[in-house]
Amino acid sequence: MNKWKTLLASVAVVAMMGSAAIAQDAPAELPPITEFPREQTLIVHNPEPPAINPDWFNLWVAGAGGGMSNGLHQLMMDTLWYIDPDAGLDGALYNSLAAEPWEYNEDFTQMTVRLREGIYWSDGVEFTAEDVVYTVEAQAANPAFNWGATFAQQVESVEAVDDYTVVFNLARPNSRFHAVFSVRWNGAWIMPKHVFEQFDDPMESDFNPPVGLGPYTLHSYDPNGAWYIWEKREDWERTTVAAYGEPGPQYIIYRSIPAIDSRLIEMVNGNLDMIHDLTPEAMFSLVEQDETARGWFPGFPHAHPDPTLPMVIFNHQNELFQDRRVRWALALMLDARQISMASYRGAATLSAIAVPPTGTHPDDYHGPLQEWLEGFELDTGSQTITPYDPTIGLQVADMVRPQFGDAVPTDEDAIRRAFGFGWWGQNLEAAAELLEDAGFTRQGNDWYTPDGDRFGFTITTFESGVMNRFGTMAAQQWSQAGVQVTAETTPQMFAQDLPLATYDAATAWQIETWGGDPDLSFFLESWQSSYVAAEGERQPQRNWARWQHEELDRIIEEVRVTEFGTQENLELGYDFVRLMVEEMPVIPMMSFNVFAAYSERYWTGFPTAEENPYANIVTNWANSRYIFTQLEPAQ
Amino acid sequence: MKDYLVFVLKRLMQLAAVVFAGISAAFFITHLSPISPVETIIGRVAGQSSFSPEAIQALRETLTALFGTDLPLHEKYLNFWLRFVVGDLGPSLIAFPTPAMRLVMLALPWTVGLLVTAIVMSWIIGNMLGGLAGYYQNNRFLKAFGVVAMGVQPIPYYIVAFLLVIIFGYFWPVLPISGGFSMNVRPGFTAEFIFSVLHHAILPATSLVIVGMGVSFLGMRALVSNIVTEDYVTYAELAGVKTERVVFFYVIRNAMVPQLTGLAMALGGIFSGTIITEQVFGYPGLGSLLVRAVNGGDTTVVLAVSSMAVIAVATAIFIIDLLHPLLDPRVKVK
Repeated sequence: MNKWKTLLASVAVVAMMGSAAIAQDAPAELPPITEFPREQTLIVHNPEPPAINPDWFNLWVAGAGGGMSNGLHQLMMDTLWYIDPDAGLDGALYNSLAAEPWEYNEDFTQMTVRLREGIYWSDGVEFTAEDVVYTVEAQAANPAFNWGATFAQQVESVEAVDDYTVVFNLARPNSRFHAVFSVRWNGAWIMPKHVFEQFDDPMESDFNPPVGLGPYTLHSYDPNGAWYIWEKREDWERTTVAAYGEPGPQYIIYRSIPAIDSRLIEMVNGNLDMIHDLTPEAMFSLVEQDETARGWFPGFPHAHPDPTLPMVIFNHQNELFQDRRVRWALALMLDARQISMASYRGAATLSAIAVPPTGTHPDDYHGPLQEWLEGFELDTGSQTITPYDPTIGLQVADMVRPQFGDAVPTDEDAIRRAFGFGWWGQNLEAAAELLEDAGFTRQGNDWYTPDGDRFGFTITTFESGVMNRFGTMAAQQWSQAGVQVTAETTPQMFAQDLPLATYDAATAWQIETWGGDPDLSFFLESWQSSYVAAEGERQPQRNWARWQHEELDRIIEEVRVTEFGTQENLELGYDFVRLMVEEMPVIPMMSFNVFAAYSERYWTGFPTAEENPYANIVTNWANSRYIFTQLEPAQ
Repeated sequence: MKDYLVFVLKRLMQLAAVVFAGISAAFFITHLSPISPVETIIGRVAGQSSFSPEAIQALRETLTALFGTDLPLHEKYLNFWLRFVVGDLGPSLIAFPTPAMRLVMLALPWTVGLLVTAIVMSWIIGNMLGGLAGYYQNNRFLKAFGVVAMGVQPIPYYIVAFLLVIIFGYFWPVLPISGGFSMNVRPGFTAEFIFSVLHHAILPATSLVIVGMGVSFLGMRALVSNIVTEDYVTYAELAGVKTERVVFFYVIRNAMVPQLTGLAMALGGIFSGTIITEQVFGYPGLGSLLVRAVNGGDTTVVLAVSSMAVIAVATAIFIIDLLHPLLDPRVKVK
């Protein structure tokens, strides 16, 4: 019997070892890796799950299953400009492959770009204007590339005037064409012409090993897609980041770690230097257990506010939400403090206006508009109220202080930036007056529509996480106020529910901004009323609410012919914010706070909210490459 | 012998029918999904940067034509079988244009390796201890083990897995908690790589064995508890047959037949992967691929995995059917 058991156990073990070995298909030329000294190695969490197609690096192909946030677009890719969602090292706008900002002709039908000289691909070939021209022409010829349709529709022709000058002749006036080549999270990456022109169909190339313009090259990777190791180029000085210094780490390892608990444990154990995100609870636990760990803020609320604005989105093709008074009534029924506590355990950065309170926006919008917000009057039909409460952020700080003590800031300006400037004070009396003015009636605590039906709807939300908590808390508050609201979850929010408008209201987002620049065109262009789909048809990104307004169209049309970065453009942003407050087509709630963490055990020089907010610390943003130029080994 | 061959032929025809029906059912169920792979990709692409609605619409039309998602269902069904018989299921729709089978074959060895090991180990340990516990009903150690097995049984698997991560990754950090092997090891048939694979498999395999062992243990103990009361066991004991021989050849062997069926079913089921194990331990495998394919509307990958699962389970049952008359003389073929 012992022999029998031994035999079976041996078969099982051999099967396991054999199958694992068979699964690997390591390239023969891969050098053996002996060690990665921690003083030379930065280990970064990649929020993508392990790549299902790990050998694929051609990230220009739409949906090819290869990784992107595995270091590929942060460390190897490059394009003309970067617009940082935070302050940037020398301002939010980086001239990357471009030597200077974009130049348009008078009617925005032509954009000229001067390129940097002395930039080389990682295989030693010089980068020139021909690469830019190839990038446009190759993708325009193939609409299955990510940017194929964009180039085919927006570019009439592109020419290399000389090795370092490119002229884009646009199909129609477009003052924001440069946005295509400006990295927010990513952008249209430049393709190496000398690599792709070897293929009849560039879509079929897996681009392995990748050839890039960034300061790192691929060292090795997990055949199962869980980790990718990048090594600093010997000629890093011939890349665009060299203007900001030598990248500190010799090696950067990106690891996929699906389980949140494991991320926390790996950082505490010294096996991870940067975490993309945690739950609020995990973040609180991490900073308590690891004195070298911290988030964007030095203490509570820790998280980095991304330039994305979670909100309640109303379906404007639903009769219930077509009256501004109803939307405002629903906004005044909400208690933002409780939503902050429920969704983020108080670590939310609230925003009453339709611009996320992140990056330079608090200085561009939230601060300058405080006076207008405090004076904003709302006619409920029975009285005129000033609904804005500028102390909401301060109140949330007071609510969390008993638990988190000294970690909670006390300086008023710091509190406003961390917890938000203010929000609409919950006012059930005013909400009732607005509903009555709109023809609604109340029986007991229950509201009825002018048609006599019970006033109720479903709020669609995510399956889990802070957005789910936000949705369920909003549903609870509306139900307590007499509106019959049920929260339902969906796994297909952005692929099905929002585009097909199979929702009444939803907690999601349809406003994302540059963060580092007040220009709102990033999302606003798609809000033009001509893009609103008919009922039953699919709505293109990003106006999921399908809201239309003459004044909105006026603003969008003026933005189209207004220079990026001008006071006139900012004024149009103010017009947009005021219109959104007056009409309340969606209820803005807070920024999308990401509980990104880093450890200073092995590396120092990371950006901080309080002293040097030069970059977004969220690891999958392509701009995080600038962080690596500021890192130094900890002593 | 002739009866047996007729029996084999009948079972073979049943196998073919089950495979055809199972895969057809998988095809139609998969295509009932409202999730569109085109919209999955568009959602991912459009969320990354600033695209005009016109550009997104053009991308949608291109991908729809490439994937053939607008073809009538009967045409897709016919195309599927035509490809299936030549062993080509087509490109993955969430990793286009990579063939779906390539993705499956990348993940499959890890799942097979981990699950075969875990299932076989938990089956052997569970059945041996269960058999002994059923025979030696007053043994303190086996009694205590039975209590532990019954106690562990209702604990959800993910709790057991997380406990192992916390104990061996945090409180006593001696074992790796993520990945299939170390980053500083070059893959290949080397002692270093094999050790690294085994090292990384300890926690996921242990979690599966702890939970899986209880099922075999409790089942076997119940079976043996009945068998020990049979007359032939009492007679053997009275006749002076050695206790070890009674336990292993009179009792456990007779209780083994239904357990073998369970083992075959479990081994056939490994193609579904172990999604929770893969998530908790960051372990490579089919489960994560399948979930991502389902969530992304990748019908090609879902069908590749489910076809293999159907074939594996049906074949396992087929083999057990063939072996039963040979293993158990009480089963006659007519």
